Amino acid sequence: MRRPGIIEKEMGSIGTLKDLTGVFESLASTQVAKVKDKVLLSQAFFDLLWQRYTALRVDPKKRITNREGVGSNGRNVHVLISAEAGLSGDLDMRMIETMQADYDPSTTDIVVLGSHGASQLSQRGIPYIKFFQLPETDKYINVNPVVDVIRPYEKITVYYEEYLSLGQQEVRSINLVTTIQSMSEDAEEDVMTADDTIFEPSLDEIADEMEASMMSLALSQTILQSGLAQAASRFNAMTVAEDRAGDLLAEYKLEYHRSKRSESDRRLREVLVGIKKKRRERAAS
Amino acid sequence: MSKPDLTEKLNVIARSPFELYFEGEAVAISASNRIGDFDILPGHADFFSMLSPGEITIQKIDGDPVKIDAKSGIVTVRDNQAYLFVNM
Repeated sequence: MRRPGIIEKEMGSIGTLKDLTGVFESLASTQVAKVKDKVLLSQAFFDLLWQRYTALRVDPKKRITNREGVGSNGRNVHVLISAEAGLSGDLDMRMIETMQADYDPSTTDIVVLGSHGASQLSQRGIPYIKFFQLPETDKYINVNPVVDVIRPYEKITVYYEEYLSLGQQEVRSINLVTTIQSMSEDAEEDVMTADDTIFEPSLDEIADEMEASMMSLALSQTILQSGLAQAASRFNAMTVAEDRAGDLLAEYKLEYHRSKRSESDRRLREVLVGIKKKRRERAAS
Repeated sequence: MSKPDLTEKLNVIARSPFELYFEGEAVAISASNRIGDFDILPGHADFFSMLSPGEITIQKIDGDPVKIDAKSGIVTVRDNQAYLFVNM
């Protein structure tokens, strides 16, 4: 049995670990609340923008899929939105496994957002053509560089993590172009034409600008969704780690008390043996 | 020629993806596009425009005007309902 002093020292370290995981747990919980608000705000913005876009006399399905440069290289791209750092449970690994099921290197390239996903891909020997660092979620997400890279691809599939609840996060994949088209299909059509509306500079340029914005917004939405799911996953991982540290601490306490008792028993035995020895010596003399 | 209705107001929603700058009644919006500076007053014709980088001013019915620093944006007006989508 280990000595009580050593066990006490280890108990101190586990106590610190438990406190730390507790802090991470509450940080993750704050992050969940913060990102959730952003997801709602961004969705409301997208819905309103789409409503105004559909008011233009253009066929959104035809225009968005036929944008200049879209689909020009004839290949597919998988966009993986992972966490920027670790401590987010097994969510990124699950996402990569899901992506692998549909991955054919001869027809498909991979673009990865987030350092954690990039390192996971490298560990598995899966090549990616471009890596982007994810911005802090409380800052403006400029996805234009990502959009520029993925625009030439025929099919753009985005893999991301969806927040269902604090205890449940799922890996999802979407086709970016069809998603933009269907995100607000029920939007009211309140047509504005050149006959009754002043367009500056022109209807086409405005439609182009709005489509580019919507593509960026749709991608930003998935980044936010992933951030939310990762924060929730981190919260769960930290809750489990804190519980585990608590259990470990209880086990160590038990071992410590046993060790203390055994040490005092050993001392008592030594004293008794000493007394018996003395008695025997006295009796012999 | 009919006289402008001075009791008319604009209903304005001004927002970016993560921020609602203003939602409510206003008497004027000032901004600029590629052609130049412009004002939108109640009763304005249906209008759809890309905005140039610069300051957008929303003159509320009372109180200080709302000023938005816009890097990009779109404004759309129809039937005194104005939407400003900025910094997308």
